[in-house]
Amino acid sequence: MAFKDHRDFFEVLEKEGELARITREVDWDLEVGAIGRRVYETEGPCLLFEKIKDYPDGFRISNGTTGTWPRLALSMGLPRKAPIREIYKTYEEGLEKKIAPRIIEKENAPCKENILIGNEVDLYKFPSPMIHEGDGGRYIGTWDLVVSKDPETGWMNWGMYRFMVHTKDWLTGWPQSTSQLAFMFNARYLPKNQPMPVALVIGTDPISHIMATAPVRLQEDEVDYVGGLRGEPVELVPCETIDLLVPAHAEIVIEGELMPDKVAPDGPFGEYPGYRSGTMCQGVAVKVKAITYRSNPILTMIALGTPPDDSSIAASLTAAVAMKKGLLHRKVPVTDVYVPPEGVTHLIIIGVKKGGMEVARQVLDYFTARRVMTNKHIVVDEDVDVFNMTEVLHAFATKCHPGRGIAYEWYEGRANSLTPFYSPEERKRLKGVSVAFDCTWPPDWPQEIIPIKASFKTIYSKEIQEKVLQNWTRYGLK
Amino acid sequence: MAREWQTFVRKFDDMKEGRAKLFIKDLTPGPRRYDTKFVEAEVAKSKGALPDGEPLTIRSESGLQTPEPWYIKIIQELPPFVPGKPWEDVYDAIKRRE
Repeated sequence: MAFKDHRDFFEVLEKEGELARITREVDWDLEVGAIGRRVYETEGPCLLFEKIKDYPDGFRISNGTTGTWPRLALSMGLPRKAPIREIYKTYEEGLEKKIAPRIIEKENAPCKENILIGNEVDLYKFPSPMIHEGDGGRYIGTWDLVVSKDPETGWMNWGMYRFMVHTKDWLTGWPQSTSQLAFMFNARYLPKNQPMPVALVIGTDPISHIMATAPVRLQEDEVDYVGGLRGEPVELVPCETIDLLVPAHAEIVIEGELMPDKVAPDGPFGEYPGYRSGTMCQGVAVKVKAITYRSNPILTMIALGTPPDDSSIAASLTAAVAMKKGLLHRKVPVTDVYVPPEGVTHLIIIGVKKGGMEVARQVLDYFTARRVMTNKHIVVDEDVDVFNMTEVLHAFATKCHPGRGIAYEWYEGRANSLTPFYSPEERKRLKGVSVAFDCTWPPDWPQEIIPIKASFKTIYSKEIQEKVLQNWTRYGLK
Repeated sequence: MAREWQTFVRKFDDMKEGRAKLFIKDLTPGPRRYDTKFVEAEVAKSKGALPDGEPLTIRSESGLQTPEPWYIKIIQELPPFVPGKPWEDVYDAIKRRE
């Protein structure tokens, strides 16, 4: 089933016992963040905070909409206990079907129930949370969707970038300098010294937010993929003050302009790698021109930090499938790619049909060719289940030669500055290094010398396995 | 009523006494808490050095807070941004290296 908005998905979460409504008053200043963080760390339910200190009844905050595999499965119309491999497969197949969005009239768009324009704009009308103690400010944009548009080609880009309340009508944010948003701004708006229209969209249907985390190619519209995954078009509506289309069923839409000649501080912020690590910077400055919102709006929050949370789960899915596609395109004999949420897109597991250092170097070349978001790549033979970290760690420990089985590469200007182990100087220059661990048997080893894995499935003949399985209960075993 | 403020520096040593332009957050409780102002101000490490100053919490780039607050006296409020191009600091750092 396709979810039209944040609210109808909540109905399913509630039925499945995956939603907790917090009716006791909570403070937007650290308390909601601390509760959200602790619930992530205990893999608890999605939260809906229904009474927020300093704010009128009806102004709500949610946390962790799809922050676990069961909730992500539900968002895709799968049973909550669907295996990760099945979730990946459903997503991968869904990407093959693109459905263009449908534009609807303003009168039918719930996000237009309330409209604030010009002097009426006041970001403090919304309970933007102070998520972590010591953050640089109140983050209204964490589980968001940021829309921008290429004025020459019409490409509508969706991305997920953090945005902080700076003043009543200014936001600051930190899309990375290597992001598609930065690419579009530098290519189309900065040369003309023009502000770039952007819309910060909060609280859409779950797939739209997930797709905003996906590394889709330049000039491709994420919204078409969302339509394909949902099996029906996303309904969009024009903004009030800028030439952009936004999801009509969103909870809150903030319309603004990203300035070409002004900057202001953003951060620091406890980010998706699980640290607050030198992420304070001259952020982009966005002048807010209008805010439209549903009555009783829900502000979607993720109390980002150590995994798992919505970010690490969504990226595990969207990044892995994009990486698999990219590796296959480069003729790497890849079978599966898994991005374990615990590795926060720093650690990638790649299964290959044929291994060896040459393949490991091909893998490394792919991951370091352009914008580099990853740094550790474990390459395993196809008999290792990439989704099973016990098998992966076993292969890493026993098959990676510390002298011959490791390849690494340094680069500059395209590293991920959120990587905690980089020095401040490396972060500043986007200087980084990536490594590939070859955990496969060398392809030039003759079959007869390759060690045989001493597992039930690999060291016994089919006959013995069948005999044991047939008699299993007769042995008195369950 | 005296207000309390907060500012961020990369390292604590970057904070210098005297006149400075800095972004500060208003810590007054309520729905507008953490509103940002860009100000020209006098700052001092001790209340004695700035008797009419208001407390100023200093945090580092990792969000760590100094054990004791500094003090601030706002001279004038400025527009809440500075001139600059987005990501200029990153591109400049890369260019310098090249």
